[in-house]
Amino acid sequence: MRERFRALDPHLLWAVLALIALGTLTLFSAGRNTPQATIWLKQTLWNGLGMVLMLLLATTDPRRLFRYSFPAYLLGLAALAAVLVVGRKIGGSTRWFMIAGQTFQPSELMKWITLLYVAQRLGSRPADEVGRLELFGAVGLVVFPMLLIQRQPDLGMALSFLPILLLIPLMKGLRARWLLALGLLVVVGGFGAWKFGLKPYQKQRVLIFLDPSADLQGKGYQVNQSRIAIGAGGLIGKGFTSGSQTQLNFLPVKTTDFAFSVWAEERGFLGVLLALGLFGLLLSRILDAARVAHTYAEAYFCAGAAGIFALHLLVNVGMVAGALPNKGMVLPFFSAGGSSTLSFFLALGLIMGILHRARLK
Amino acid sequence: MDPRQQPLLRQRLGVLKVLAWSLVALLVLVYAWLQLVRHGEYRQLALQQAVKVRPIPAPRGLVLDRNGHRLVDNRRALHLVIQREDLPTRPEVVTALAEALVVDPQALARKIQSYRLAGKGRPLVLKENLDEAGIAVAERVRARFPFLSVEVAPRRVYLGDDLAGHVLGYVGEVDEELMKGKPGVFHLGETIGKEGFEAAGNDKLKGVDGQKRILVDQLGTEVANFGQIDAAPGRSLFLTLDAGLQKVAQDALGTEAGAVVVLDLRDGGVLALYSSPSYDPNLFLNRLSQDMVDRYLANKVTRPMVNRATQGIYAPGSTFKLLVALAALEKGIISPTTPIYCSGRKNFYGRDFRCDKPTGHGSLSMVQAIAQSCDVYFYELASRMDVDDIHATAEKYGLTERTGIDLPQEKRTRIPSRAWKKKAVPRDPKWYAGETISVGIGQGAVGVTPLGLARFYALLATKGKLLTPHLFYGFRDDQSDHLELASFTPPKDTPLDPKHWAILDEGLYEVVRGGTATASALKELTMVGKTGTAQVATFVDRAHYARQAKALKDHALFAGYAPRENPQIAFAVVVENAGFGASSAAPIAKKLVQYWFLDRLQHPLPAPRGKLVDPFAPQQTEATE
Repeated sequence: MRERFRALDPHLLWAVLALIALGTLTLFSAGRNTPQATIWLKQTLWNGLGMVLMLLLATTDPRRLFRYSFPAYLLGLAALAAVLVVGRKIGGSTRWFMIAGQTFQPSELMKWITLLYVAQRLGSRPADEVGRLELFGAVGLVVFPMLLIQRQPDLGMALSFLPILLLIPLMKGLRARWLLALGLLVVVGGFGAWKFGLKPYQKQRVLIFLDPSADLQGKGYQVNQSRIAIGAGGLIGKGFTSGSQTQLNFLPVKTTDFAFSVWAEERGFLGVLLALGLFGLLLSRILDAARVAHTYAEAYFCAGAAGIFALHLLVNVGMVAGALPNKGMVLPFFSAGGSSTLSFFLALGLIMGILHRARLK
Repeated sequence: MDPRQQPLLRQRLGVLKVLAWSLVALLVLVYAWLQLVRHGEYRQLALQQAVKVRPIPAPRGLVLDRNGHRLVDNRRALHLVIQREDLPTRPEVVTALAEALVVDPQALARKIQSYRLAGKGRPLVLKENLDEAGIAVAERVRARFPFLSVEVAPRRVYLGDDLAGHVLGYVGEVDEELMKGKPGVFHLGETIGKEGFEAAGNDKLKGVDGQKRILVDQLGTEVANFGQIDAAPGRSLFLTLDAGLQKVAQDALGTEAGAVVVLDLRDGGVLALYSSPSYDPNLFLNRLSQDMVDRYLANKVTRPMVNRATQGIYAPGSTFKLLVALAALEKGIISPTTPIYCSGRKNFYGRDFRCDKPTGHGSLSMVQAIAQSCDVYFYELASRMDVDDIHATAEKYGLTERTGIDLPQEKRTRIPSRAWKKKAVPRDPKWYAGETISVGIGQGAVGVTPLGLARFYALLATKGKLLTPHLFYGFRDDQSDHLELASFTPPKDTPLDPKHWAILDEGLYEVVRGGTATASALKELTMVGKTGTAQVATFVDRAHYARQAKALKDHALFAGYAPRENPQIAFAVVVENAGFGASSAAPIAKKLVQYWFLDRLQHPLPAPRGKLVDPFAPQQTEATE
């Protein structure tokens, strides 16, 4: 048993434990005097379950996991297709399965399975032996589940698959014509999406991001209140459970998307510095794992995982500050939610397994 | 194939690490900007939306009649409401609720939507002022829609219904226009008087609203109270009105349109002021339905919102002859005993002016002319004067000004003069002598309010004292229920010659003793007064009467005072389209006098709760001695 615990990487473990502590305090404060008063307790249960899964994966040989990545990918696609048919509809989108009274969002896990499978395929040979066709194939493997998710619709979740494509420049380096092609894709895709792909509420989000003051009572209200909460926090914050924006419910959806605003209001800039520092350490350690990994597939998985964590951090923390559009992307270890929490712990477990194997050799 | 042996991969992973820390640094900068640089601004915004100053409405004072009978009371009212946090969002719920409340679903949806956008602090009111049946319905609906609640709020109750609608007026929420006109005086949603004494005496009744600084949550619900200044309730007050006499006036007019004014000669207190058709102020406390607007506010046929006693302009007819006689006496153009011969008609300036009595009155002195209401006599007087002489006399005795009663929008009595015509009729500014002849019998351009007329007869009763009519009697001492008498504008003395007065008084006495109103004489005391019959005033809709193919019957008037020996009250009665003054207006005056001096003392109204000290009370018995 002690052997098993030795598989846990201490750097990652402490960073994650610290972040969980901050997140739990945040949820305790955010849920006070609301119908969600016990949400911190529920989240603690998810965190506990997540850590058990993390421990299990850390002590598993990563190669075994890569071996199951293809059937897992197929299963994931099937689940995404199934959720469109039999999923529970909440707030206009169909993203959840109901299992034993709990909602389960398959797309959260699918993101990591896709990363696992793509890393396995691209990492089977050295980078310079991977042909263009295989690269396009990898892009297709990422885009297909994204399209299924956008059917739900859940643009934020679909976009969180994009960091997986980071693997291509990591293997081949950056080329000017790729950037050009990307730029072209963004312009054409953006125009096409605006014209045909985006739902009205998504268009509205973009418009509000461009001019938040235009609609302070409607959709711009949430971000505006979040900015007030953050700004009012100041250097040292209003104090634990003393933020007026949080406690008087001016801050919307404060246990999920806007949980970080609660932390920023009550613990101030110093608290923000602490949280962002911990996230920095987390990213840094995951990239370290990529450097010491024994196989290309393992290295690619770690790099992609760092990308996914970084995107969540950027979009959520940037969004609640009004610096990015309101995309509805959760912040790991702060936002309450079972599927996402378990998925993050599973990924960390795999990374710890990779680090553990590297240490053993 | 060990990736650790790949320098390019290691290099790129190094770049990613730098990018990761750059991302963290970027976010730190964003938060430093919000939390350090712009902290003050956001702190202010957070305070502004969480800390509110809310008014605490002060209950308005009660209104009592001169004997302490309640005319206006405060009661608890029940409203069916939805709290902001409970607003239904699903359209099918709104539709079902609309069906249960028997209202238009689309209208309800619009109401909810506009409230969602604008309403703050107060819940959405679905049904106001629930009566017993309404409460029963509300409870049934609430069983199906538990998000509804019943709210208790203070409410004005006008106890006499339409007994004194025009006197009391009603209250409502302050208009936005009024608020704009007087910044800082009113606050949104404040209850103010809209009409009648509620409006004129608003400052006396309203009290001082308190305020509290409170912490509110996002829904505007009070979370904590940082301290408050309590509201000072408005003081209750007495009106000079006598509820019993007012009731007599109401019953006497019945369904006829018209007005009754009774003044207390001691101080100018208004004992009764009734305008018919009246309205029930209670109806105006709810949001007005279209039916209410049609029946009251927009009713151009009977104009029930017009206070005919203070805003109705009537040709005074023969009641004006006293002023013409007075003008002639003061001008010295005739001796009161000099007879003038009436043959039933007389020609002035080539036009025939007819008397009421086609066969003629024969030779008449001034007293006889007043008693018989001979038109030819007064044509003759008018022909010997200029219209400006009559106007000057009217001005001297206060007839050309507003009476100054404490009711809003009192109309000014109109006594024509050359200057007046120049201004009023620019098409034809010249005054014709023939017009003066009409003025001699209170026709033509002459127009008086019943209140102005009563005030002129009060002047005759008091041998020349010009009273300022008022409704405000004094405040109630809330400990003892006693009256704290207000200070009144003292009567103004006018240079009325006692010799002239004696002739007019004699003339008025003869009207009732042997003249045009003998049927209205009382055995027990002497009431004097003058009948009048006048062409219909212009403020009613002539077209309506034409449509009804109904003859434009004359208005009947009677003005006078009682008792003759020791006058205590003066009165004016107008009955619209009733024909001859003696047969319809004078009997109403008789009923008023009968009640005030006889019935009231024999069958007093049940005493109100609490003690009262009316400084005038002991004098009331004098009339029966």
